[in-house]
Order: sequence, then C-alpha cells, then structure tokens
Amino acid sequence: MSGDFDSGPIATLAFFLASALTIASAIIVVTQRDLVRAVVALAMSFVGVAAIYFILNAEFIGVAQVLVYVGAISILIAFAVMFIGDLANAGTLSQSRMLSAIAGVLLFAAIIFVAYNTDWTEIDEVTDPDAIAGLTGRYELTDASGNTDLIRSVDRNVEDSRGGAFVDSSSHIGPSLISDFILPFETLGLLLIAALIGALLVIRNRQEDDA
Amino acid sequence: MTLEIVLVVAGALFSIGLFGVLARRNIIAVIMSLELMFNGVLVAAIGFSRFTAPAALMGADGGITETAIRSALTGHMLAVFVISIAAAETALALALVFAFYRAKQSVEITDAADMKN
Repeated sequence: MSGDFDSGPIATLAFFLASALTIASAIIVVTQRDLVRAVVALAMSFVGVAAIYFILNAEFIGVAQVLVYVGAISILIAFAVMFIGDLANAGTLSQSRMLSAIAGVLLFAAIIFVAYNTDWTEIDEVTDPDAIAGLTGRYELTDASGNTDLIRSVDRNVEDSRGGAFVDSSSHIGPSLISDFILPFETLGLLLIAALIGALLVIRNRQEDDA
Repeated sequence: MTLEIVLVVAGALFSIGLFGVLARRNIIAVIMSLELMFNGVLVAAIGFSRFTAPAALMGADGGITETAIRSALTGHMLAVFVISIAAAETALALALVFAFYRAKQSVEITDAADMKN
C-alpha cells in the first residue's frame, strides 16, 4: 500500500501541493504586517513541512513536527505576540530590505545551481547484483526471532531505484537513540533542562524579588 | 519527485527565512523566520535520507543489516535532534525577548544595539 503510494504520481502531486502550501505560508510569515496573522501562517507552513515529511517516508519526524512545531513552538510564539501588546511597528521592514531580498534570491539561486549541477547518482550507484535484485523486488530481513517483515516491499524498476528509503523509520529510531546516538541523546536531555532553567532565570523579575 | 526538487523546496524555505531574519525589525518576527530556516535544513536532511539511503542500506557486502538500516536513518536522527534543540532555543529566545521588552519597552531589533544595563 505505502509502496504503491510513494512511487506513483499521487505522491508527486501531494508533494507539490504540500510544497506550495509551505512556501506560500512562509512568504506570508516574512511579509505580513500583522504578527498574529504571521504566527498563523507559520503554523500552516509547519503543517506543510510535516506533510512533506510524510510523503518522504519519514513518519516519525512528521508526527514529531506536528507535536513540537505546530503544537508547541507556534503556540509559544503566539503567546509571546499576545503578551507583548506593543505592536505598532511590528510589520515594518528594516532599511536594508532590498539588500536582504538580494541576499535571499542569490542564496536561492546558488542552492538551485548546486542541486542541479551535482551528480547525486554517484552517491547511490548500485552495482551489486543482490542490491539490484533488492531494489527491483522486495526486501526481507530475517532477525533472530525469524521475523521477516521489517522492510517494505516496493515495486519499482532499476531506473527508478534512486527513490527509496523503504525502511519503516519509526521502529528503528528508538533503537538508534539508545545505541549509536546514546551520548548525543543524554547531552540533549542536559541541554533541555539547562535551557529551561536558563529561560526561567532570564525572565525572573529582579525588582519584584528584591522588594 | 526527485532529490533535486526536494532540495529546491528546502532551499526556498531557507532563503525566505534568511530574508525574514535580515529584513524584519520585530524580534519575534525574526525568531519566526529563524524557525523557517530550521525547517528548510530539516527538509533537505530528510530528502537526502529518502533518496540516497539505498546505497547506505546495501552495506559493505551487499546485504541488508540492522546496522545498515540505522546508518540509512542518520538523516532522521539529525531531524530528531534539531527539532528538540529548536524547541529549547525558542523557549530561551522568547524569555530573552520578554526580558528585553521589560528593560526597554520595545521589541525592535535596532534598539538592542547597545548592551548597556
């Protein structure tokens, strides 16, 4: 089912729709004068990015995107906008807006140039016969308990074989976190608590404390 | 749908965010643009994970091992860590904005030029 979906034209159409939503919302975020509307557009942009993640077979990241970005960060920014009522000049752009636009357009042009002038096929050129058989047919992985259905089966020809991390990502991220990435994972916990304590310290009202 | 198209979308998000960071005067709007840039980077990471993973999946001997699957998911791991760090960073940045607003009664980025007080 998902194998049929991600190789067909429906996935491409969905990808372009999600991309259009994301980029249109992003443009509203940077140009809208009303900051509350900008926050709503930002949430829409995050939803579009989550849709892109789902289309690119990254279900876990898509769910995390909805929970963290749409559910937490957008709300946090919305609260900040509403707490700070002084929004008289919120929409104005700085005097260097032309320079900023030129910088953005130049960077975008450079990214397009690199994306289309790098030979990405070099990275995933597959010569091994077993690998080609795997790409054209179905993947099966037998683990110790005899379970053989860890990887999706995908129908595709060799020319189309560039598209495809057909790994069930959700069930492999957890084991990765507590094996290969255990040190960054623990450091991340330390960083989160340090950031939250730091945020509380910064926002503390010293005059009220002293009085 | 190819890797190039995904990279163009990611680059568009990143460039729009860069424009916002440079052109906006309100600090909260700058933070919002910063989040757009984060998302652009993550879309590129997931795109690479999706389109260049088959080579990593093959492993050295052509077989698919558990280790090879994990190495193919490195882009996903990057996304997990960046999302967590972005959440912490946003909380801290908004706390700084509140402290700045309390000190200066302003959220304009040009008013942050002098570090007195």
